[in-house]
Formats: sequence, C-alpha cells, structure tokens
Amino acid sequence: MGAPPTQAALRRLAVTRRIIYLLVAVAVAVPSFCDLGCEFKPSPWVEKIFKKVESLKPGSPILLSFDFDPAAMEELYPMGLALLRHCFQNDLHPILMTHWPGGVGISKQIIEKAAKERDKLPGRDYVFLAFKPGYSNLVLNMGESLQGAFSRDFYNQPTAGMPALEGVRSLKDISLVVGLAAGATTEMWIAYGRDRFGFDLGAGCTAVITPDLYPFLNSGQLIGVLGGLRGAADYEKLVKRADRATKGMQAQSLTHVLIILLILGANAHYLWRRTRPNEKG
Amino acid sequence: MAAPQETTSPTRRTAELVVLVVLFFAFLAASAAKGRPVGAPDDWWLARLGVVVAAGLTLIMYSFLYRDNPLFKIGENLFVGVALGYGVILTWRQSLRPEIIDPLFVDPPHIHAFWMELARRSAPIVLGILLLTRLSRRASWLSRYSYTIMVGWGAGLGIPVTIHTYVLQQLKPSLGLISKALGDTPAGQQADLWSAALPILGDVIILAGIVSVLFYFFFSVEHKGAGSFVSQLGIWFLMVAFGASFGNTVMGRVSLLIGRMRFLLHDWLGLGP
Repeated sequence: MGAPPTQAALRRLAVTRRIIYLLVAVAVAVPSFCDLGCEFKPSPWVEKIFKKVESLKPGSPILLSFDFDPAAMEELYPMGLALLRHCFQNDLHPILMTHWPGGVGISKQIIEKAAKERDKLPGRDYVFLAFKPGYSNLVLNMGESLQGAFSRDFYNQPTAGMPALEGVRSLKDISLVVGLAAGATTEMWIAYGRDRFGFDLGAGCTAVITPDLYPFLNSGQLIGVLGGLRGAADYEKLVKRADRATKGMQAQSLTHVLIILLILGANAHYLWRRTRPNEKG
Repeated sequence: MAAPQETTSPTRRTAELVVLVVLFFAFLAASAAKGRPVGAPDDWWLARLGVVVAAGLTLIMYSFLYRDNPLFKIGENLFVGVALGYGVILTWRQSLRPEIIDPLFVDPPHIHAFWMELARRSAPIVLGILLLTRLSRRASWLSRYSYTIMVGWGAGLGIPVTIHTYVLQQLKPSLGLISKALGDTPAGQQADLWSAALPILGDVIILAGIVSVLFYFFFSVEHKGAGSFVSQLGIWFLMVAFGASFGNTVMGRVSLLIGRMRFLLHDWLGLGP
C-alpha cells in the first residue's frame, strides 16, 4: 500500500476540484447570454416518432403517458411540450395520463400550456386522465376498456361519450402511444401494452436510461426514442419551434467540450507523470 | 482506514464565515433587486417569495461543492422532510381519496350504490389494511396473506410477459445474421453494396457482443487460449456499454444543472434574453 496523501496534496486536489466546478458553471451559464450557433441534425429515432405522428389523420387519438415528476423536468418537460404542440398543430386528440402521482401537476401544466396556444378544450380536443394507481394492471385494464379504467377525467367529467374519445374503447383503438419516462415505465408499456395490444410505441426518456432502451429499437418493440435533452431539442427542431431544449443544448455542447478537454488533460498529465523517472502511478 | 481529511486553519474558517455572511446579504440584495413587472397579478409577491426560497435552497445545496457545511445539512434534512410530507399528501389525494373515500362516502347517490362500490373495492381495501399489520409484532403474520397474493399475482402476470418481451422478442434482432443467412430477408432488398453491408456488419457486432459477454460470465470452463480471447472481447463490449451509459448519465446530470442555472439566472435574477 502506498503512503497516505499529504495535506498539501489534498489541498491541491480540493482546489483543482473547485476550479473544475467553477469552469462547468461558467460553461453552463455563458450560453444564457450569447448564442453559440451550435447546429445539430435530428437523430433517425426521433424522426421516426415525428413521422409517425405526422402520418396520423386529424382527429386521431394518441395516448401520451407522462411518467415523470419535477426531478426529471429539465429533460422531459420540453419533450412533452414539443410533442403536444405537434399533436395540436395536426389536430390530433391527445389522451394524457401518468403512472406517477407526482406527475399530475406537471402534466397538467404542460397540456394546458400547449392547449391554450391553439385554443383547444378539454373533452373536445384532448383528454387529461391524470393519475390512477395500478401500474401494469392499469395498462391491462385500459386494454380491456379505457372508460372502465378511467371513468372520469382530471376535471371530473365522465369519459363515456366524451367527443375527444369518440371511437376509442380500449388501447386496441389507439394506433400510437408515446411514453415519457424517468423510470422503468417504458419497459412496462412494452411488456404489458405494446406486445399485448399491438399499438406502435414511441419513448421519450431521461438520458440516463436511454441506453437501456436501445435493444427495443432493434427488435421493433419501440418505433423511436427521444433521449434526454438532445431528444427534446431534436423534436423542437422537427416541429420548427425552438424552445428551452434547443437553448439548453448550447450549454450542453459547451459543457461536453469542456469535460472532454478535462479528461484528455487529466490523462495527458497522468501519462506525463508516469514517464518521470522519480514518480510512478 | 478512514480517508485523510483536508484540515483548515482557524483563520481560514473565519474568512469563510465572513464570505458566507457577505454572500447572504448579496443574495438578499439580488432577490430584492427584481422589481414588480407592469400588469403583474396580485399574488406576484407570493410567487416571488417562492422563487427566492427556491433560489436560496438551490444555492445552499450547491454550497456542498465547496465543502460540507451546516447550511447544506439543513437543506438536506428539509428536502427529506418535505419529500416525505409531499409523498403522504400525494398518496392521500391521488390514491386513497379518489379510490376509496370519494366512491364510498361522497359520490354514491344511494345506499345500493354504496354497497356495490364496497363490494368492488373490499378485496383491495382488506389486503391493504392487512399490509399495515406489519406495524404490530403480534398481528404481523396477517400481512403474509397480502404478500402471498402480491407475489403470486406478480409472478403469474410477469413471468410469461418477461419471457415474451425480453427473451423471445429479443432473439430475432440478436440473431439477425443467422436469420438473414437462412433467407429471412429477400434478396435484392438493399439498394447498393454499402447499404447491404452496413446492417450485416451491425448484426455481426451484436452477435459477437452477445456471445463474448455471455462467455465472460460463463465460469464452468477456464478462460484460456481462444476462450481467453473471447472473454477479453466480452470485457471490451461491456466497457463500451458502460461508457455509453456513463456518457448519457453525464448528459442527464448536466441537463439538471442547466435547468437550475436557467432558474437562477432567468427566474430569480431576471438576466439573459
């Protein structure tokens, strides 16, 4: 075992760490004041979801499941807003629900903001089902009867006979479901929803869980994935409405460049120290 | 052995305290600097107070980046308490009240409806109450009935679904190369050599990754010779997968920082476009 680090070494390490934090804070803050002009091309998996939404006829139902809470707001809020704006722009009838009790407030905020921009009304142009406990059992129940699973919407209106739900009796009558998730609900939607009832499923998720969903893209169980802030920015670009995700990507790109430089610098320093004759490791 | 801690001198501690007090007054000044916008609603001050409290707590949490401190501890404990309280209220408002209280005691128009609703909900209510017997040492055995049903129900639903979704559905893309070799893909479907070769290359990589990673975790034979090569290849695939996960995690964490920074600069200080 090597000798314990000296106080001077610890102090140097602490100072270096704080300098890195400061640099990251600056990298994140700078794009708030100036446009860096970063350009990006939407990924094919985002385009697939966009094209699927585009292919739906006006008045078609689309089920959106916003399974996240304010902790994942930075990545999934812009994603949800861009998706709903796209739905309302194409006169689709979004049906919004959440499996997370903490997601009701944020879902309501997003759908009411998007609806207000296009003068859409609940019940007529969209349905906000909010939350109901049950998780996978709820999805199975919705596969039998949507009105049975949610007898009333968030505004306490009966779902039976609701104009926005015309022709929709169960999940089998919905051609596209998009689940925005900060947890494992996308996989639940695949296992208990898509594989059983046959609708197309798109996913939006935080960057952390995006790699877990790649196998489902290859197998065709997911038609596309919006991954993290980049996925949200891609969708904003496709709907031609740059908002907070697009602005956030400037800071994201600058911070990534900084992190890459720091990794390269630290490794170069490590190699340089190893080549010195009196110090090893 | 405990990790050696960085020590600080009393002079430095005093200097840090002075800086903290200065920062506190700077925070108050910055919070007060943003004036009331024209045409703001009457509850603007209340919303502003919420923003100032949130900004203060955000800065307190980020103070940990400098060093662990009492303010951070207060913020941390406050977060745990608020999260617990929020969870209790959410469970009441989103689950218990709409699923039990309202249908039984508020909504039913007559006694017949009450009995109908009670009959529909009696099993979940009883099973839920039985779960709470865990709190009593003498009656806790009753909770096993609930757990038995939960486990049985979960396994009955989950096992076939898991096999179908995670094994059978995944087999085809994992074995895409074999599937194509057996003539699953019609000849002449690809436009040119490059677009024909690229998916095959992808299939080769996927197949090599699956086989080598599975072999890496297969301990019944010694990993030497060709086996060692396959095992090493498995490690490389694992490292690439971990790298992709880590890269995405960094992106996710930076996104959270971007959100907080936007909140501090725009919502709290009113800076930027």
